Amino acid sequence: MNQNNTTMPTAKSGGRRFRNDVIFIAALLAIVALAGLFVFLFRQPGDTVVVTIDGEHYATYSLNENMTVPIHTGQDGEQINVLIIRDGQAHVQEASCPDGICAAHKPIHREGESIVCLPHRVVITVHSTSEQDAPDIVT
Amino acid sequence: MLGMLWTLVSLTSCEKKPNKYSAYSFDYFDTVTSIVGYAASQEEFDRVSSEVLCQLEEYHKLFTIYHRFDGMENLCTINELKDGAHRTVTVDRRIIDMLLYAKQMYVKTDGKVNIAMGSVLSIWHDYREAGMDEPWNAKLPPMDQLTEAAKHTDIEHLVIDEKNNTVTLTDPAMTLDVGAIAKGYAVEMVAKSLEKQGITGYVINVGGNVRVIGQKGDGSPWTAGIENPQEDEREPYLAYLSLTGQSLVTSGSYQRYYVVDGKRYHHIIDPLTLMPSEGFLSVSIVCQSSADGDALSTALFCMTPEQGKALIESLPDTEAMWVMADGTKITSSGFDRYIVQP
Repeated sequence: MNQNNTTMPTAKSGGRRFRNDVIFIAALLAIVALAGLFVFLFRQPGDTVVVTIDGEHYATYSLNENMTVPIHTGQDGEQINVLIIRDGQAHVQEASCPDGICAAHKPIHREGESIVCLPHRVVITVHSTSEQDAPDIVT
Repeated sequence: MLGMLWTLVSLTSCEKKPNKYSAYSFDYFDTVTSIVGYAASQEEFDRVSSEVLCQLEEYHKLFTIYHRFDGMENLCTINELKDGAHRTVTVDRRIIDMLLYAKQMYVKTDGKVNIAMGSVLSIWHDYREAGMDEPWNAKLPPMDQLTEAAKHTDIEHLVIDEKNNTVTLTDPAMTLDVGAIAKGYAVEMVAKSLEKQGITGYVINVGGNVRVIGQKGDGSPWTAGIENPQEDEREPYLAYLSLTGQSLVTSGSYQRYYVVDGKRYHHIIDPLTLMPSEGFLSVSIVCQSSADGDALSTALFCMTPEQGKALIESLPDTEAMWVMADGTKITSSGFDRYIVQP
C-alpha cells in the first residue's frame, strides 16, 4: 500500500513535470522570439555618412560600402563635390568650389566628424553607432 | 514572465526620453551654423531651432558689413560715405551694445582686437576673394597699400552716443569690420535669450563659436572634442572637454585661407605686422561668454604664447589651449579642470 501510495503520486507528478517542461519550453521560445523582435525593432543601423545641402537632408550613405558620389549643387547642378567612401572613411576628392578647403580636409570616419564646403553649402557628417565614446561637439 | 517582458518592452518604447536633433544653416555670418538639441519631439526642436535662426538672422543683418537692407541702418551703412564723410547714423540698440563691447575688448586685448581695422581687412578680403576665384593669379596685397590703410584704424574715431543711439566714424577713410567678435557676440545673445526662457539641452555652433545651453537630454554634461589640426590617426582630438553652459571657441589658421605661391595665408590679421599672424595652428578658449571666447581667440592668435597666457590668467573662469605651428600644445593653468577622458 505504502509502495502504491508512493508510486501513484510519482506518476502524477511525472505528468505535471512534463506539462511544466512544455510550458517552460514554450515560454523560453516566446522569450527568444520576443528578444529577436526586440532586437529587430530597436536595431542600430551601421555607420553612415549624412550629406546635407543648405541645411536640407540630401542623402545617407553607408560608410561600409566603397563608393564615389558626385554631389551636384547650384541652380543647374553646375557645382560639384566628389565624395569618396573607401575603407570605412569619407573624404572629398575634388570640388569645384573656389577655396578647396573641403578637398584639403582629412578623411573622416568618427562619430560627429564633418567636412563642410561653405561655398556650396554642403555638410558631410559621420553618424557612427559603434563608437560610444565620441564627443557630442567637435570644434 | 511574459507579462514582465511586455512591461519591459513597453517601458522602453514609451519612456519619455528626449531625442537628439540637429539643424544646419549657411545664411548667417558667412559661415555654417549648426544647432544640436534634445527635445521631446521634432516639432519642439524645430520651434527652438527656428527661433535661434530667426534671432541669428536679425544679428546678421545688423552686424554685416557686406549688405545693406531696405529701411534699416547697419554696420554696412555706418561704413558708407556720403559727400566724402561718414554720416551720424541712428542705429538699433543692439549695435550700440556690441560696439561698446568691442571698445572694451580693444582695451582688454591691448589693441589686438580692433574693429576699426576695416580699411586693412577689406584689402585682405578683396585679395583673398580674387585669389580664390583665380588661384593661378593669387597675389598678396602690397605692403605700402596696407600701411597706408593702417593709418586709418584709430578706434577713437568711432564715436558712440549712448543716449541717442548714434554712431559716427570721424575719420572718412576709416571703416568697421566686426568679423572678430560679431559671431560670438550674436551667439551669446541668442543663448542668453534661450536661457531666459528656461530652454536647456542645446548647443549653438556658428563657425566654431560653440555655446552650450544646459546639460544634455539625460542630464549629463556635453563632451566637446577639440580637433587636431594635423592629420593623426592616433590622436584625432587634442582634448576632450566637459561642458555645461560654457562657451568653447576655436580659431584656426586652417579654417579660412587662400594660397599664394604654395603658401597658405589665413584670415586673422595681426594689427602690428598687417599680415596673417604666424605661430599657431589653432587657439581654443573656454569661458562663460561666447563673445569673450571669439574676441580672445583672435587676440591670442596675434600674441606670443607668453603674452596670451598673461592675459588669460588675468581673466576669471577663462582658459585657453594653443596649438603651435609644429603641433605641440600649450594650456593655461586651469584648462585641465575641463578635461575628461574619452
